[in-house]
Amino acid sequence: MDVLAVVILGGLSYGVVLFLVGMGLSLVLGLMGIVNAAHGVLFMAGAYFGLAVAKQTGHFWLGLAAAMAIGALAGLVIERGLLRRLYNHQLEQILVTFGFMYIVTNLHLWIYGPRPKSALVPQALAGSILIGQFTFPVYRIAVIFAGGLLCLVLWYLQEKTKVGAIIRAGMDDPQMARGLGINLTPVNVGAFCLGAGLAGFAGFAGAPVLGGANLATGTEMFFTAIAVCIVGGVGSVQGALAGALLIGVATIFVGAYLPDMATYVTYMLMVIVLLFRPAGLLGAK
Amino acid sequence: MLVLLFLAALPAFADTATASLMTKILIFGLLAVSLDLVFGFGGLWSFCHAAIFGVAAYTTGILIRQFGVTTFWLTAPAGIVAAGLASAIIGFLALRSSGIYFLLITFALGQLVYSVAYKWAPMTGGSDGLSGIPYPDVGFTLSTNGFYYFTLFICAICCYAMYRLTMSPFGQALQGVRESDVRMRVLGYNTWFCKYAAFILSGMFSGVAGVLYVHFNGFISPESVGMAASGLATIMVIIGGAGTLWGGLVGSAVIFALEYLVSIITAERWPMFLGGFFIAAVMLFRGGIFPYIERLWKRIGANGRP
Repeated sequence: MDVLAVVILGGLSYGVVLFLVGMGLSLVLGLMGIVNAAHGVLFMAGAYFGLAVAKQTGHFWLGLAAAMAIGALAGLVIERGLLRRLYNHQLEQILVTFGFMYIVTNLHLWIYGPRPKSALVPQALAGSILIGQFTFPVYRIAVIFAGGLLCLVLWYLQEKTKVGAIIRAGMDDPQMARGLGINLTPVNVGAFCLGAGLAGFAGFAGAPVLGGANLATGTEMFFTAIAVCIVGGVGSVQGALAGALLIGVATIFVGAYLPDMATYVTYMLMVIVLLFRPAGLLGAK
Repeated sequence: MLVLLFLAALPAFADTATASLMTKILIFGLLAVSLDLVFGFGGLWSFCHAAIFGVAAYTTGILIRQFGVTTFWLTAPAGIVAAGLASAIIGFLALRSSGIYFLLITFALGQLVYSVAYKWAPMTGGSDGLSGIPYPDVGFTLSTNGFYYFTLFICAICCYAMYRLTMSPFGQALQGVRESDVRMRVLGYNTWFCKYAAFILSGMFSGVAGVLYVHFNGFISPESVGMAASGLATIMVIIGGAGTLWGGLVGSAVIFALEYLVSIITAERWPMFLGGFFIAAVMLFRGGIFPYIERLWKRIGANGRP
């Protein structure tokens, strides 16, 4: 019974990290129709920079803020510097983010070196609690709560605020939205930076859950974020949450009982969803 | 135009290293050209061609190393058929959607192949890959230059075949589907089948490149199968010019020439240069380098006559 509890909690904490990453990608994909190939790298950048700052200053929360900041900043650079010049050329926009990913990954190798970085946990949340005969880190429970809170905030933003309504309108019918006088450009920029900031945040906050950060994290997370979008559906908080939790819990669950098959879980879920509900579990259209 | 390119490629280079580089350019050029078939001509943003290429390469490698089947005439068709099968499966799953979703799904399935290559260690050698694969056993031994001609011959045939394909009614139909799926369906074409057939054919040509690669490299590992490799193939197509077919070869030549030059200065920063060059190519060389060259060529030709 406690094994199950540990596995589920572990899966939830992993799933929450996936939700934060997937949400950003899903938002940009739904709103602007582009796959931000650099998204995984933003996650990694958040982790690396946040950890560097936190270790230098000795404060976890500073690192967290730094991680979010660099994510949003990088997002701004991508959007204003590159994407803005390729308006209406979807494929080119995707390709440019791809090139950006190459550059940033290599940049990280240059600045931080090839060895993996260990994660950092704040003093207040260090330690573990006892579940039956297993110890479970308090930090992960905090992550579940924090993620859940963020999810609620984002959901509220999406459903109950004017900004959320504008974003949803921009996803459904950009031409109509513009026709109604809504300026979608700042919305797009804002959404992109929000998604990027979320990725950076997830990178730093999620590092203890993932066991550190290394140079492969960028591409790995990008792939998993895409899986979240495919499985859960693009463009909505509930879609990203569904996809992320499903993948997260399933991966940890399978990992506990059939370790070799753990990495295949994501693929299996994707193939199943693609065969029966190509738009994703909670996807529209 | 084409004849000129052909002649330029034929003379033997005294330098073995150059022949080796040229062989690599041809092999990846073939991969890029086969990708362009669906990417540029079909409008399908496929991100899994390196995986299909890898399936062929691994099949050949496994047959040679694990089962001791060394005759080229058996291993090569096996690799190509395997690639065709892989593209049939991937295409079936991916063609249920289009555009971005097609890209995502092919990307995901390509990663699945990478994952299998990585994990199925007893068969594929895992992260170490398969090594010790010799030049193809075609009945007589091949030298490095000999292999270059072998590759050139096969690539030339394949590229010509693909060229004829794009000029054929099927090729025209495919381009029509790229322009407007709905219109083609109204005209009575089975657009799904067009795209599916093109995808499988493209996959088989990628398979040819894969078979050549495993013999050229003597070694195959998951790296050549994953996202990075598929991305590289896409970069070659874009830099050379999507939808031009020959652009794939141009892109391959440009990339490897650049890599060689940059590596003289700094080997570690190459990905940064590649990324930067790629971004520049996308933003400045709209349409790719090949149309650029074509236009230049036409202008030179026009200036020669009154």
